[in-house]
Amino acid sequence: MLQTLLPILIFASLIMGAIGALRRVRLWRQGRRTPVVWRNLLLMPKRYLVDLHHIVARDKAMAHTHVATAGGFVAAMALALIVHGFGWRNPLLGGLLLASSLVMFVGALAVNRRRLHPPEKLSKGPWQRLSKSLLAYSVGMLLVSLPLVGVAPTLLGGGVLAVALTALVAWGVLELVVGMGWGGPMKHAFAGAMHLAFHRRPERFDDQHSNAQHDDHRGSRSTALFSLDLTAEKLGVEKPTDFQWNQLLGFDACVQCGRCQAVCPAFAAGQPLNPKKLIQDMVVGMAGGSDAHYAGSPYPGIEMGKHQGAPDQAIVPQLVEAETLWACTTCRACVEECPMMIEHVDAIVDMRRFITLEQGETPPSGAVALENLIATDNPGGLDNASRLDWAADLDLPRIQQRPEGVDVLLWLGDGAFDMRNQRTLRALIKILRAADVDFAVLGEEERDSGDVARRLGDEATFQRLAKRNIETLARYRFQRIVTLDPHSFHVLGREYPAFGGDYTVLHHSTFIAELFDAGRLSVKPSEQRETITYHDPCYLGRYNGEFDAPRRVLAALGIEVAEMARSGFRSRCCGGGGGAALSDVPADLPGRARIPDMRMDDVRATGAATVAVACPQCTAMLEGVVEPRPQVRDLAELVAEALIESHEAMPVSNPNETLEEVPA
Amino acid sequence: MSIRRIDPHAERIRRNRLHPRHHELVRPAWRWTSAEGVTRIDPHALGAIGPNGIKRIDRSGGAVDAGPAVAREAARQDEAVPSRRPVTIDEPAGYVMVVPECLEGRLSDHDRDLFGLAHQLAEDRQVAVVAVTFQPALEGLEEAGADRWLDLSALVADGYAPEARLAALLAVETAFSPRHWLFADTFPGGGDLGRRLAAKLALSGEREDERVAAGVWQVADGQCLSRAADRQDIQRRLPRILLALAECAEPLSETRHEARPLTLEARFQSSFQSSMAEPGEAGIVDRGRVAVDPQRIPLAQAPFILSAGRGIGDWEGYHHAARVLGASEGASRVAVDDGHMPRARQVGATGTFVSAGCYVAVGISGAVQHLQGITKCQRVVAINSDPGCDMVKRADLAIIADGDAVLAAVCERLGQPRAAEPSEAVPEAGSGALSKEERQHVAA
Amino acid sequence: MSQPENATAETVDAIGTVHALISSGRHPVSGRPGRAREDARAVEMGLTLAGAGLHLVHAGNAEEPALRDYLGMYHGLDDSAARGELSLLPMAAEDDAVPPLAHWLETQGARMVLTGQRAECGEGSGMLPYLLAERLGWSLTTGVAAIEAVAATHVTVLQALPQGQRRRLDVRLPCLIAVDACAPAPRQSAFGPARRGKIEIVEDVTPERDAARAEWQWQPARPRPKRLKVVKATNARERFRAAAAKSSAANGQVLSDLTPEQAADKLIAYLRAEKILVDDDEPASD
Repeated sequence: MLQTLLPILIFASLIMGAIGALRRVRLWRQGRRTPVVWRNLLLMPKRYLVDLHHIVARDKAMAHTHVATAGGFVAAMALALIVHGFGWRNPLLGGLLLASSLVMFVGALAVNRRRLHPPEKLSKGPWQRLSKSLLAYSVGMLLVSLPLVGVAPTLLGGGVLAVALTALVAWGVLELVVGMGWGGPMKHAFAGAMHLAFHRRPERFDDQHSNAQHDDHRGSRSTALFSLDLTAEKLGVEKPTDFQWNQLLGFDACVQCGRCQAVCPAFAAGQPLNPKKLIQDMVVGMAGGSDAHYAGSPYPGIEMGKHQGAPDQAIVPQLVEAETLWACTTCRACVEECPMMIEHVDAIVDMRRFITLEQGETPPSGAVALENLIATDNPGGLDNASRLDWAADLDLPRIQQRPEGVDVLLWLGDGAFDMRNQRTLRALIKILRAADVDFAVLGEEERDSGDVARRLGDEATFQRLAKRNIETLARYRFQRIVTLDPHSFHVLGREYPAFGGDYTVLHHSTFIAELFDAGRLSVKPSEQRETITYHDPCYLGRYNGEFDAPRRVLAALGIEVAEMARSGFRSRCCGGGGGAALSDVPADLPGRARIPDMRMDDVRATGAATVAVACPQCTAMLEGVVEPRPQVRDLAELVAEALIESHEAMPVSNPNETLEEVPA
Repeated sequence: MSIRRIDPHAERIRRNRLHPRHHELVRPAWRWTSAEGVTRIDPHALGAIGPNGIKRIDRSGGAVDAGPAVAREAARQDEAVPSRRPVTIDEPAGYVMVVPECLEGRLSDHDRDLFGLAHQLAEDRQVAVVAVTFQPALEGLEEAGADRWLDLSALVADGYAPEARLAALLAVETAFSPRHWLFADTFPGGGDLGRRLAAKLALSGEREDERVAAGVWQVADGQCLSRAADRQDIQRRLPRILLALAECAEPLSETRHEARPLTLEARFQSSFQSSMAEPGEAGIVDRGRVAVDPQRIPLAQAPFILSAGRGIGDWEGYHHAARVLGASEGASRVAVDDGHMPRARQVGATGTFVSAGCYVAVGISGAVQHLQGITKCQRVVAINSDPGCDMVKRADLAIIADGDAVLAAVCERLGQPRAAEPSEAVPEAGSGALSKEERQHVAA
Repeated sequence: MSQPENATAETVDAIGTVHALISSGRHPVSGRPGRAREDARAVEMGLTLAGAGLHLVHAGNAEEPALRDYLGMYHGLDDSAARGELSLLPMAAEDDAVPPLAHWLETQGARMVLTGQRAECGEGSGMLPYLLAERLGWSLTTGVAAIEAVAATHVTVLQALPQGQRRRLDVRLPCLIAVDACAPAPRQSAFGPARRGKIEIVEDVTPERDAARAEWQWQPARPRPKRLKVVKATNARERFRAAAAKSSAANGQVLSDLTPEQAADKLIAYLRAEKILVDDDEPASD
């Protein structure tokens, strides 16, 4: 009886699964069409086994579980197809089938153990069921295959037991094979595989790190936002169908593991954003329906089951509230953490673009910043000609007076208008002069880089600023740009190339590290009176992979860094990026902390008396934490403080004198 | 004034150069009477080194006069206005019409500036400056500089009636053919009326070359300088109608004018009556003032602000007090950062610059930025538990007490105690982890 | 300051198309062209009142970049496909805008026109609404903060007074409404609607040269001198004392060791003395 039932079951499920898969493909293809490069399918195994595995392997136990379960299932299914489906009852194959079922069973046990008391980040509902289904399939397949190797009596093939076993296997294939195409939890396997093949940012998969075994920050090269064609019919994403088809595919690949939710600073702060829910809402929008079936954590403060979506229905506010989108700090922690390599930030910015460019509903402070950027080239609405007022006594060399060119163009950024950041800038200039760097500034010709405008979705203003800045920079000669603002650093270095501006851009931490390496700075050894920790800015670290230089600078000062639990590529955002500080999201439900407060708690946990930062925005956010709290010092300030006497005594206004005093 | 007293013992020592304490007492003798009976002053022996290192000699007597009370008394006497020279014009050769704003029924500084400008235009002493008003009683016209006073309140009803006022001014125009009309360039007051008159006269075609000059801020040599848009000034020949900005001229200070009442002849009055539209056809009908919710007045314009800082523990009680007092709510930066108040309510250099007539700061210690934001406030009241804080120094009235308790008591005294559960009213309850001392300590 | 409860339908019945006169603004810091503060508020008021039925009018340079910024305000309307329309009466900066505008508005049968009080470039005398209303024989109100209701014969508006106070006025139609800077802030100008908005150039406009203007001398605005504290005193000592006098606030009264009730009494007494609180135990305003 089994011999007749099993092939029917297997083939029926495969056919049903395939039909479901086609239906799924049609759902994805509702998105905007981009050419499909079919040969990318060949890249998929490598991307899965290497790139993706690196991220999954950050959770070792889960990685092993997944290898056992998924590997076991794929092998067991393939063998079952041959053995039970086509009826080639080879004892060897039967043995292999048994072995793989056993492996899968072990994996499924681990899955079930994890599901006994699932952590908050995991989705429940069908995902709880999946763990049982895995057991059912592996146990069922194990038992029905026992006769193949002669362990169990062939008698198994008849009677009530056979029916029961068939039912067990049927449950398993229904969930694992049919569900893969029809949208059960297992759809992640199919959608995930396709997503890896047709990923919108293929650069994320060719990692060129010197150490092939490294685990930090893969694919950091592809972090620039995609530029928007401003002549398009519709700007940004209004409906699910306005996404690129492979973005929809990416959403569908989500396994609801909740790693994004666990690292999201906005979620932790109780703001109405949960990256996992957002991606699930995109799936709801793509397939149509309501969010009532979602079985994970909600957006904090927003009731579930009240929102529904359809492919041709506007996303905001029927499916997602606008404040959810504005709560994002674009820190990319979710993208970094996602084992399916889903691009949350791209999706959020796409939807923000529609709100800002088509609906004009940027949150009030954000709208003011944009208006100021349009009128005055800086988000504060200040006179751009006053950009150098703070440096009146420093006699900064202007690039306009250096037609022959300079080595370093110092990009000041909008921090030049901020009194706190002016201290940092002074420190940096002191360092540059001490190291006898040939530098100059643009002065009032410098404009905002466009970072805030772009993250707020105002691509038009961003492109205008970018083009004007590129025009300005084209008039002068310089070897490279150094800036202490990671946002300018990112935008100038990674996002301007799309508009024809190719520059060598260095963050000041990298540049100072270089100066130390070249022996151009001498500092007095630190007495290490206090513990110091270092906060990685998102736009320097996660966006651009620079984790090393700031630590080298601190090491050169003789400072040992007490690392925070979340540092490096897992650094927690300060809350100031992506225009989130301008987005007026009704902050901070009672009892929850603000984002910078949480980060300051991370600092306190190390026992550090000082936190070294490398970003004006981080400085401002962390210094906004109510005292008493650890001191916030920029790297440049720490270095400038430690410069040895002969340099300190030098008149800063006369760079020529530094020539003789360069240390050997 | 204080009586100069002589200490005979000190005098004796001062005369005796061999006395051991002679040097102590001789130093302050920067002024003495010489043998000839002439008062001598040694300028090197007096004065103090100023902050910029230069010696300053204070001859105001402020250092000598004892006690601030005496000084203030003396100051008040000194401030008594010097008597003004009376000016009368019996047979005016022409008229310059000034239409003062009379906000709240009083002459404003802007109005006085207009009179000053009018006298500048009426260089010829035989040209009379006429105050054209729409209210029967007005004080201070004599000092402001009105030679004549034409009150049109009999013609025009109370309230906002720009069309009727315009008709009355047109009657005045035909009756007196004034050399100039002066209005304050403000909306919706004089600037509105002046423009209506100018538009009427411009299109009536009689004086087509005449264009009103708005935003006038300087008049000299038959030319006037007016502020145009886009950071430009226009210099042009003096027109007949001027809408002048505040501080366009110095107000009069030396003369006193008679403000002799002037009346409109009956025939002009009747022409006014006939020109007025039927009552049902008025273009604009005044429906009266509207009660404005103090919370919806933009903070920068609010006349009365109750501002809260770190010293507030009971925020419900504070909001209630603001409602009871009818005050707009303001906040210090800390109160906003802590999430108790919206960002739009922040007062100070980093928030809103306010210009309230009365500013009550509760539990705000007065950071520099905050004080910068309230420089334009006329009266400041501080309620704070720390007597040494800067806000108390700035305040016209400072009450050293716990803000929450005072506000609760105020509500009670005004007969509207907060009908809330008692536990909430206890200051500590709402303030979370901070103890009272801590709040005092960190108050911003 | 309540907005009319979507008066769009009645508005169309009563006044037909609402027009807004717009001009190019100048940013106070950078001097760049953009929306003028008051004109943008007039457009906002018109959009709230009439939705997509608001028609924009500009007399001036056809190349003016700021015009698109106004068209960018056509979003968030009932008809999401609506796009802004602007009629442009081409003329030079030296021309008199009043006659062509008056003529055009008459031919359009306009009954209600919104505009700002003063332009941000050119003379900026604020005379245009007055001359236009006078020429058309319409009624005019300035300093309008909100439109409360529209009836068949008149509009009810709130006029802004100093210190945030308001006055209610009935204005007979047809009318010209000059909007104050304290009217509700204009909505954001969005790139998409700005791009889609339609600018229609009106033919056969015969502008007249503004004759008086030719005689004027334009010069960059000089900073106005700060008025010095003039002291009328007969002798040096008094002049010095007046110059050295500290502000009166330095002599504030400090009350300590009061019970909350006493403190409350003192505070109330002070507020009453300063006429902030009215004496009859009632809040000053409600």
